[in-house]
Amino acid sequence: MKPVSRLGHPNLGLGVGLRTVHYPHILENKPAVDWFEIISENYMDSHGRPRYVLEQIAERYPIVTHGVSLSIGSSDPLNFDYLRRLKKLAATVNARWVSDHLCWTGVAGRNSHDLLPIPFNEPTLRHVVDRIRIVQDFLERPLVLENPSSYLTFADSTLTEWEFLKRMAEDADCGLLLDVNNVYVSSVNHDFDPDEYVRSIPHERVVQCHLAGHTNLITHCIDTHDNHVIDRVWELYRLAHRLTGGVSTLLEWDAHIPPFPVVHAEVLKARRYMGDAVEVETDLEETPALRISDSPSHRSTTVPQPASFVVAEVE
Amino acid sequence: MMDSSDPRPLDQVQRWMLAVVTHPQGVVSGIRADESQQEIPISPDDLESVITRSRQCTSIERLQVYGNAYYTRLIECLQDEYPSLRHALGDESFDAFALAYLRNSPPTSYTLSSLGAEFPRFLRETRPGDLPPEIHWPEFLMDLATLERTYAEVFDAPGPEQLTLLTSEALSSIPADEWSDVKLIPVECLRLLELRFAVHEYATSVRRGQQPSIPISEPTFLAVSRIDFIVRRWPLTRTAFQLLGLLCQGMPIGMAIEQCVDNDASSEDELWGNISDWFHDWATTGLFRGLQR
Repeated sequence: MKPVSRLGHPNLGLGVGLRTVHYPHILENKPAVDWFEIISENYMDSHGRPRYVLEQIAERYPIVTHGVSLSIGSSDPLNFDYLRRLKKLAATVNARWVSDHLCWTGVAGRNSHDLLPIPFNEPTLRHVVDRIRIVQDFLERPLVLENPSSYLTFADSTLTEWEFLKRMAEDADCGLLLDVNNVYVSSVNHDFDPDEYVRSIPHERVVQCHLAGHTNLITHCIDTHDNHVIDRVWELYRLAHRLTGGVSTLLEWDAHIPPFPVVHAEVLKARRYMGDAVEVETDLEETPALRISDSPSHRSTTVPQPASFVVAEVE
Repeated sequence: MMDSSDPRPLDQVQRWMLAVVTHPQGVVSGIRADESQQEIPISPDDLESVITRSRQCTSIERLQVYGNAYYTRLIECLQDEYPSLRHALGDESFDAFALAYLRNSPPTSYTLSSLGAEFPRFLRETRPGDLPPEIHWPEFLMDLATLERTYAEVFDAPGPEQLTLLTSEALSSIPADEWSDVKLIPVECLRLLELRFAVHEYATSVRRGQQPSIPISEPTFLAVSRIDFIVRRWPLTRTAFQLLGLLCQGMPIGMAIEQCVDNDASSEDELWGNISDWFHDWATTGLFRGLQR
């Protein structure tokens, strides 16, 4: 039976990833953002300002929890203490859905705090599907999994990433978070056609889209979340929008984070790619420090996301 | 993509990859290391049997993206948590200490807020033992690390902000004949620190963008808590610190005072001369969430 579009979840509109530097602006100005996505791990154990601010924001805006440590692809046992905390957080903020990444973050009890790639083959597929089912049973809700950016592929892979995602989502009956920037980054890194990727996934299972900027290092791209969305990624978003019929869309900006209005204006550009759009005016192009750049970078140290460390506020 | 129907076991691939990308000398050394050789015994030249190449990058270069990111990302987090320690050590030395710490205590938690939890312990355990007694530099660094880790813990701990706190007036209203048996209940985020240097002043200067000198050694006693979600610290005298510590352990006020005097008879005048002000200050700054009679 064909699943209900977006697993029955609403299209929340255009949202922004909640970051600590924007707390004062959001609380003071109550910007007209459709929804916010939070990094789950930054709030699960907080009894301080992050949690307090989140609860205020959750009273006004829809919230989605987005994790970086579920490690659904790991061969280590699932961490049920983590899942208990995640479930509690999701209930507290009335999370519209719970998402994480198709990746592993560690093994043998260690956590790399990176989103590491898995080999795309039949045994891995069975392993991941089994774990998704367990997590969904525990959380009592469908899991939504994102395609992470990746920088290598395994000789042991026998499936393409989009074949793996399709079968995983259908076999586990879970949702997908389609990060079109990650599709683009991985397409450069692994020499595949990003359009084919977006066309091949099960569109009715896409609950959400992610947008972000990245760093082009000529030979490969790194998913740095530190800049505007490039035109090619916007074109992928246009394709995804057409094929999915429109889903909740969120912009992530995690390094060199500009003022909130700049981040918000960036996600509002998505309207231009929806076909029936009202053009959104921004002054971004007049701000040199925030100029959009598709040209390659020559940075010496480029670290992929995620980076989800919250710095203590001290008098 | 390979056609084999018998790929390597996932746990083997993952243990191998983690060993390779977390090797401090880089992924080539990581591939050669015993830990990874136990999982997949290949040479760097044979890497394509595990990691495929792309049109523009070799297998080694692709693996290096993860290898380069691992320590860089985690050290950046430690830099954020320990800005004053980093200032005192200098960037290069701090990064070297951080790298050694991460090798000694690789992250195991799902949250990065736990990443630096054992850094003060690591500094204590690796203190050079052959320094002349007049060299206090390691103690200064350990105190700084202890303070900054305490700041991080207090920031995330259950705080006083949404509690009805014990007021100075409520304390004053306790009848004189009951005062001695009263126990005070501290807020959960309160921490008491006994240090060898006034590192709180150094840390504050660093956070203000100043260039403080290394302070001379002097016994330093601090209460660290939170007001309006911002971590704050208050210097205490030794006697006030002892009294507050005993109260936080759940000792009745009368017994705590007696024990302070028993510990140091010379503190009695200071104690009776200031105790009223201390209780007033502690209540005003929200260190107690209630009392038990």
